[in-house]
Amino acid sequence: MLEYAWLIPVFPFAAFILISILPKRTLSWEDGAGYAIGGALGAFALSMLVIWDVIAGNTMVGDGPKFEWLVIGDISVVFGIWIDELTAIMLVVVSVVGTLVVFYSGGYMHGEGERRRRYYAEITLFISVMYGLVISDSYLQMFIFWELVGLCSYLLIGFWYEKPSAASAAKRAFIVTRVGDIMFMAGIIILFKYVGSLDFATLFDGGAGAAVPTDMMVLATALIFGGAIGKSAQFPLHEWLPDAMEGPTTVSALIHAATMVKAGVYLTARSYPLLVQAPESLMLVAVIGGVTALIAATVALVATDIKRVLAYSTISQLGYMTLALGAGGYLVVYAGSGAGYSAALLHLMNHAFFKALLFLCAGSVIHAVGTNDMRFMGGLGKKMRITSLTMLFGAIAISGIPPFSGFWSKDEVLAAVYSAGEFDSLFFLLWAMGIATAFMTAFYMFRMWFMTFAGDPRSDYQAHESPRLMTVPLIILAALAFSSGFALFIGDGFGMFAEHSIGSLFHGAHHGSAMDLLAGIFGDPLTYVSLVLAAAGILVAYAVYGKPGFDRSVFAKGVGGALQRALENRWYISKFYDDFAVKVVYGLSLVADAFDRYVIDGMVNGFAFLGTKSGEILRRAQSGNVQRYASLIVVGLCLLLIFMLYIVPWGGW
Amino acid sequence: MIPIEYWLVFSSLLFSIGAYGVLTRRNAIVVLMCIEIMLNSANINLVMFSSYHSVLHVGVDPSGQVFTLFSIAIAAAEVAVGLAILLSVYRRYQTIEVDKINILRW
Repeated sequence: MLEYAWLIPVFPFAAFILISILPKRTLSWEDGAGYAIGGALGAFALSMLVIWDVIAGNTMVGDGPKFEWLVIGDISVVFGIWIDELTAIMLVVVSVVGTLVVFYSGGYMHGEGERRRRYYAEITLFISVMYGLVISDSYLQMFIFWELVGLCSYLLIGFWYEKPSAASAAKRAFIVTRVGDIMFMAGIIILFKYVGSLDFATLFDGGAGAAVPTDMMVLATALIFGGAIGKSAQFPLHEWLPDAMEGPTTVSALIHAATMVKAGVYLTARSYPLLVQAPESLMLVAVIGGVTALIAATVALVATDIKRVLAYSTISQLGYMTLALGAGGYLVVYAGSGAGYSAALLHLMNHAFFKALLFLCAGSVIHAVGTNDMRFMGGLGKKMRITSLTMLFGAIAISGIPPFSGFWSKDEVLAAVYSAGEFDSLFFLLWAMGIATAFMTAFYMFRMWFMTFAGDPRSDYQAHESPRLMTVPLIILAALAFSSGFALFIGDGFGMFAEHSIGSLFHGAHHGSAMDLLAGIFGDPLTYVSLVLAAAGILVAYAVYGKPGFDRSVFAKGVGGALQRALENRWYISKFYDDFAVKVVYGLSLVADAFDRYVIDGMVNGFAFLGTKSGEILRRAQSGNVQRYASLIVVGLCLLLIFMLYIVPWGGW
Repeated sequence: MIPIEYWLVFSSLLFSIGAYGVLTRRNAIVVLMCIEIMLNSANINLVMFSSYHSVLHVGVDPSGQVFTLFSIAIAAAEVAVGLAILLSVYRRYQTIEVDKINILRW
């Protein structure tokens, strides 16, 4: 089965081609939604077969079908597929969320008219290249798909390109992620210089470590992680993701919560065999992750746009995954345990489900109310029962209340970070940041839920429950958000499954039964710390936003007010980038412009001027007077004669 | 026999007179006549070299003089064409002054 995995991206791609080129009247229902659903379902079915095969213990690492793309000298660039447990986890995410989002779009995009065709074409293209990214078997192939998902992200953020804010958000997302992409490219160029190949099979078999000097390995892995910083919106390149909320909510759910932004985490996880050879890079990964988680969570506390709350929450949770990967690398190197790695992947999967759910619920709310601003919502719980209930599921899951999925993975992440503290005490600080983030996560999630669904309406809106095409995906995702954490206990356990893909890096991992695992989780006092903090976050949110009568003006005074303003301005990071772009880059651009205008254009124009002027002088010779021509001929002839007769013999030629 | 230098000087003078006329005269017909003079100086050279060739080598080789006949015939044709052109130029511009006919320029 696995050798047909390359067909997975082909289904959505075929849908993309069909939606793009078919005549309008043959697109039928919802301007092409049928084709998109068909493509997504085909890929979903094939993905499930592949995943089933991987669960059965088959992988295809380096021995899959290949085709030679191009040959340069004695280097051949080969495309192939790489299917292991990590690929399977990503396939679960992309196929489930991708398919549900396409279904949901059928309802959500109903009012978009002619533009739906462009929407469905772009979203099927995105799903296709995302599958391609996941099954790539070399850094080069991955990079190509990496750029393609970036392109689709750009196109879909700018879906309403008539809106200036959407157009500039699309540009911003494209440019900021491009900074990361350049680092990624520089990293793989370094690897290529020393190893001469970018195939995972060559790089990961242990030979790469011998070929690359240690300091270069640190640089290369740090640069590759730089790609992840851009794509997964990590600090300091995280500011594009909240702006990316200008796109349709379905796009935010699929691309900017569940799949594309996970590509950075996926890349980091995929690069583990290289990262474990460079502990400095692992520390960078962990610190960036921890800082991102904390900073994004603080900004989410005060955001009033429902989608921006979710966007900052996404950044924060991605920071969790990155932190877990960094800490997990330390555990692999020093403790011979894959706990951090599997925790990151479990959180990746769980987060994809509950965050897609939260986004789609937010989409349902926006669809009903017609605004993103939570200050104009309130009291929606009575009118939108399914949406409010499913969103509650998502909020509980992300807050980390057992037995919902977020609890299991978040607990695993924090436990892994804490146990890495044994090898570097910096991890204790990162753990404290993670715990603080967990508290804030619970708070801002329930703040959002209470502001949206509880209390009385704060504006005139004619809300109604969304059509079944939208609520059914919500219910499915809610079920997944509830249950996906139990993957930890199925069969040999999720940890065992995930660690297979990095099994060659360490030995002697011990895994107990499901009961041992449960006892381990609930026997650990740290679990109760995060639990109590999550519960406290929910209670504080209820006290401030759920229960009527709390005077929120206290937040506007004194130190709290200053903090509030700093948070509302996103810690001024966005402002810093804007100022940087306006002052520094604009100044540089002025210099470059002057150089272009005066030096380069001056040279070009100068030559043109020279040609014109000399032509003007020379054309006087063309007087049209035959006798002048004749006399010139005579003079020339005489000169030639004199030259031949006297100068030539005299010169001795 | 007249020495060869005399002939050469004579034909050079004739050529120079013709060239001078071509370069200085305004009237196109006079220019055409001057061209004939230049052509004839070349013809004289041809005839002269031919007869000296016959004297210096045993036997008569008249090919130079025959070529002169060709040259005269061609000159006649050339004058016919030239005069025809001048005629149509005159019809068009009411003049055959060569320095007035200068539209073929920048």
